[in-house]
Amino acid sequence: MKLNNELGLDALVEKYSDVPKSVILKLDLQRRGIAFTDATTEETYTPYYRGPAQTAFSGGTKLERPFPGPLLLRDGTSVLASPVKNQFSDPYTIDFVDGKFYVTDKGKRLDEVDFTPRPDFYGKVTSRGVPMESIAWSRPQRLDIIPYRYCHYWDTKDQCKFCAFFTDLKQQKQAAGDNYEKIIHPEDIYETVQEALKEPGRYSQINLTAGTDYSGEVPFDKEVTRYIEVLQAIGRNFRTRRFPSQLIAPAYTKQQVKRLHDETGLSSYCPDIEVWDKELFKWICSGKEKWFGRDYWIKSALDAVEIFGKGNVYTNFVAGVEFAKPQSFTSIEQALDSNFEACEYFAKNGVVYLSLVWTPWKSTALAGQEQPPLEYYVRLIKGLVEIRKHYGLASDNDDFKHCGNHGDSDLERLN
Amino acid sequence: MSKLPEELLDLLKDTGSVKVVATIDGDGVPHVVFKGSLTTFDDETIVFAEGVESSLSNKNLVRSIWFDKKVAINITKGLISYQIKGFPYKYLITGTIFRQMLDRARERRGPEADIAGVWVIAPDEIRNESPAWRSALAKEERGLFHSHLDLWR
Repeated sequence: MKLNNELGLDALVEKYSDVPKSVILKLDLQRRGIAFTDATTEETYTPYYRGPAQTAFSGGTKLERPFPGPLLLRDGTSVLASPVKNQFSDPYTIDFVDGKFYVTDKGKRLDEVDFTPRPDFYGKVTSRGVPMESIAWSRPQRLDIIPYRYCHYWDTKDQCKFCAFFTDLKQQKQAAGDNYEKIIHPEDIYETVQEALKEPGRYSQINLTAGTDYSGEVPFDKEVTRYIEVLQAIGRNFRTRRFPSQLIAPAYTKQQVKRLHDETGLSSYCPDIEVWDKELFKWICSGKEKWFGRDYWIKSALDAVEIFGKGNVYTNFVAGVEFAKPQSFTSIEQALDSNFEACEYFAKNGVVYLSLVWTPWKSTALAGQEQPPLEYYVRLIKGLVEIRKHYGLASDNDDFKHCGNHGDSDLERLN
Repeated sequence: MSKLPEELLDLLKDTGSVKVVATIDGDGVPHVVFKGSLTTFDDETIVFAEGVESSLSNKNLVRSIWFDKKVAINITKGLISYQIKGFPYKYLITGTIFRQMLDRARERRGPEADIAGVWVIAPDEIRNESPAWRSALAKEERGLFHSHLDLWR
């Protein structure tokens, strides 16, 4: 069943004249995916662009032709998209012609683009001999660290149905242990951050996330303690107690969140709700439902506002997964209403409800499913931004230069 | 893009020139700021640093790059003056030029100085606004009607 008459980029730019083309293009680059020409692959392997040889994705194997950092549009918008072969049926192409990169669609040149340059710390090793590019990864203005590279929801087949983290993007299994270590030592993280900060103006935020580990006397205690150790190690690099940072993690108890706030320099917390609708949450996020359900996740985010303050607590949702079959919504209006209700509820309680585009990766339980049309995403981000503006919320922790995943926070640049 | 005139290039690269950037907001209201960092690296485009994302000037520039609005730049030193109208072409948040502009900001304003990004402007129209040049041009075109009679004695 077609959800809508599908309008393409140009038609939507004309129809929604108050939404910039770059933001609509970004949404579609993430929705349809990207592919590289041979010339682009070669150029992105040059020293200026070359990406990390080892990552926690693509199975953790050492890559001969690593992907560069995120794509950059002319207005500075970063786009998190990887040219993974055989994943996308109708990707945009990134070509390299006469010294410049261009995004093209079916042979038509759309705009000039660029890639995030390689940071200086790639290629270096810690005092324990660990390659720093296996510890942290660079977005245009953000340093990403994943201290625990395995999600235990997978142990009971309760992984989020859209999630491809720590897989090889082909098989539905966690790759940690086969090709790379599960746990990163805090001292390796400390040294990597120390080295990364030597590059002036390169980073304005540090982001932590990891696979879920619900073990501990109180569930999640072990994971919280691990994050505290890591954040304390990172914090030794700064002369101020608090530093620009975000933790994307499971919903914790108020006591656990308070520990993270009081014992470290963390400045923002983000327990992702993933999908707002009660029944879809149960089905799509069965691990989160078990540990300990949608109401608990919502309460955790709201409680965290008392600790981190209004606007410093986020919750992401995977926009489009509402249409995953067989339990999906059947209309665009239904999905918009659900997400606007969620945004309103979170916003009036000081939490930023932020969208990102669903990609049905082949290693996920929803592989091959049909995504909603681009127009859904355009209408969605417009509505989300209006609601957050009404409540005086800004998403500058997750904006165009830090994350690369959120069309709605990109639109806030004029607010 | 073609190379900028030599006289303008000299002004752009001169740290003693006065450099002004004018933008418009969503209602067309103009906003003018001095931009000491304004210069060129390739002799074709104009670059300047933006200090904070939330400045009115920066929001106007974002609106301009999104919706194809022009910005105006004036560069003056002594009796030499140029105006450039152009389109914001890029906003750089990382990379070689970003780093060069950050280094310059720290050299000029001290090690604590910071920048949010660097705007690249693609010139669309260049006008020599030097008083002597404009006056000579006006005289050449309609000289009889645009000067005071005491100058004709």
